[in-house]
Amino acid sequence: MKVEQLSLEEFRARLGSKNGLRIQFGPFVVRIQSFLPSLANPLYRLYAFYTLANDDIAEFHVQIVSKRSLRRPFTPFVQFLVDGQAPFPAAPVHHALTMLEWGINLAIAVRVNHFLLFHCAAVERNGHVLLLPAWPGSGKTTLCAALIHHGYRLFSDEFGLMHVQSGNFFPLPRLMPLKNQAIGAIRDFLPEVTLGPEIHGTLKGTVAHVRPPEASIDREDEPAIPRWIVFPKWTAHQPLQLEEMPRSEAFLLLASNAFNYEVLGEVAFDAVTGLIQRCECRKLVYSDFDSALVALNALTDD
Amino acid sequence: MTDRRLNAHHQLLVRALRDPPSLCNISNQDWELLLRLVRRARLLGFLAVELGNAGLLDKIPVRIANHLRSGLIQARKYQQLARWELDRVRWALGEDRGPIIVLKGMAYLLAGLPHAAGRVFADLDLLVLAENLQPIESTLLAKGWQHHELSAYDEHYYRAWTHEIPALIHRERETEVDIHHTLTSPIGRLQLEAAPFREAAVRLPELGIYVLSPPDMVLHCAVNLFQNNELADDMRHLLDLHGMLQHFSSDQPLFLDNLITRANQLRLGRPLFYGLYFCRLLLRTPVPNTLMTRLEQRPGWLALKVMQLCVPLALLPLHPDLPCRGAKLARWWLYWRSHWLRMPLHVLVPHLAYKFYLSVFPSKAANTASSRVTAKTK
Repeated sequence: MKVEQLSLEEFRARLGSKNGLRIQFGPFVVRIQSFLPSLANPLYRLYAFYTLANDDIAEFHVQIVSKRSLRRPFTPFVQFLVDGQAPFPAAPVHHALTMLEWGINLAIAVRVNHFLLFHCAAVERNGHVLLLPAWPGSGKTTLCAALIHHGYRLFSDEFGLMHVQSGNFFPLPRLMPLKNQAIGAIRDFLPEVTLGPEIHGTLKGTVAHVRPPEASIDREDEPAIPRWIVFPKWTAHQPLQLEEMPRSEAFLLLASNAFNYEVLGEVAFDAVTGLIQRCECRKLVYSDFDSALVALNALTDD
Repeated sequence: MTDRRLNAHHQLLVRALRDPPSLCNISNQDWELLLRLVRRARLLGFLAVELGNAGLLDKIPVRIANHLRSGLIQARKYQQLARWELDRVRWALGEDRGPIIVLKGMAYLLAGLPHAAGRVFADLDLLVLAENLQPIESTLLAKGWQHHELSAYDEHYYRAWTHEIPALIHRERETEVDIHHTLTSPIGRLQLEAAPFREAAVRLPELGIYVLSPPDMVLHCAVNLFQNNELADDMRHLLDLHGMLQHFSSDQPLFLDNLITRANQLRLGRPLFYGLYFCRLLLRTPVPNTLMTRLEQRPGWLALKVMQLCVPLALLPLHPDLPCRGAKLARWWLYWRSHWLRMPLHVLVPHLAYKFYLSVFPSKAANTASSRVTAKTK
């Protein structure tokens, strides 16, 4: 059963109930609880396609709760809690959605070691995964948003979830937070996209969330093997370049950006080595989505 | 027979710790709650090892097994970091800094205690001779270790009122090194000579360092738990006691007898009594009554009654969804108790007043580093 099959009232009631709203995100189930009236509406719209996991074990239990500050008694604040503990300070009430999304990501990043967690966007085309690692100025989320509305299946804009033993990557299609100018760029390029409210004044500026396409969420239990690793870089007024990247450089960038590379140690070293050897590694410089799409389509054509 | 006195979620956790194979038929709902309790108690790695040894990690729900394994991987990483830190400290100090005794988590690992295999510990605890403290601290400071930035108050707190110096952390690493010069607070009610512990310590030939002798290791653990700590969410330390009692007893049939004798000799009957009492109560550790009654300095019936009510509520984690006023009260009382035991009243009252002041005006703490230390010293 999907979230959209509930009425808004039922959805709101679940959020406020003892059992909470239990959502399947890829291989994880998250229980979300909140009484915050302003959170239910955008969440209902953005979470529409996710599966309700009522009978499965939830591994993450999160809440958004109201909080009053002694020093600013008249400003409403909210706090994110995971298992009753607050990993970051309270924020103004209109940040609730970004706090929830970041909070869940943080909980995944610090608790999960049964996957090697790369910090990268991942999409699938023709049965294989294309990894878009995060590196400074990469704009991975933006490029990823463009790709998934042009025939690519979304795995994640944030986590590359590698099952070390099989080499498979697992989808974790979460909301995709666009930041600042990227919001306008995606609105122009993809008028059909469903965006959440613009949330101003967060740590990363203005944020608006892209709802993942229904088809990607429907296939969130289908892993795939990666074949391409492309390090994107957006640069204004630059001609498109898609060139070979030395494997040693790709290794270092990928490994140093993984969330739990150090924790997994030798296992992670072997996994990244194997991954790099199996994949084509490229560096992409682009200034517009159309030419980037043409180049990436050519790379990932069968 | 004791279980009726425990809350349902405490029964679940205690059963998991003392009899992991019994978990094979619990419901998904119970698993979900248990995972949260085990995480709060920092026992994911412990339970992963126990279930793994019993060959049951593949017979429980796979999502639960994944998180237990994740916890074990994290615990092993901490262990590796602590081993490396010990290696670096030994390298930095060389041969001429007198005997070094490794305490707590790292010592359990070095002593090869089975229950330590999945144990989480973030710090490296060392006991050195008081007269060597100053040269050791200077050497480490000269070779790349640093203190957190401390307020003058925290500095004074450590140097005058505790049995350790402020933690040292190498600037390239994260593991804290806690250097102790004795085993209990120098101004506390229990004055403990470190000398007998040193004399009995066991040398590890391959490392050239020492760990406490088996009975002293048990006694130190009990002293820490019932004298130095506030007991909140400290179940893993009771599990240390339980693990040691079982392991050492299986090695030496007379271990418990010797332990009692040693405790009476060192006047540690009270903390050991509590340790054995709660191990029996919660984990059903086999300790005969006849041995318990040989302990001197046993608590009176009223003290025992209060402890019996409060200790399980503090040691075992709170229910993640259901607030419990009784548990909060118990924890509050044990917090006071631990301070009462560690400090005379003329030090305690100003100390707690100062900490209350800081909790209202956190910005008055010199910086975040010192507030972190203050949090640790609470």
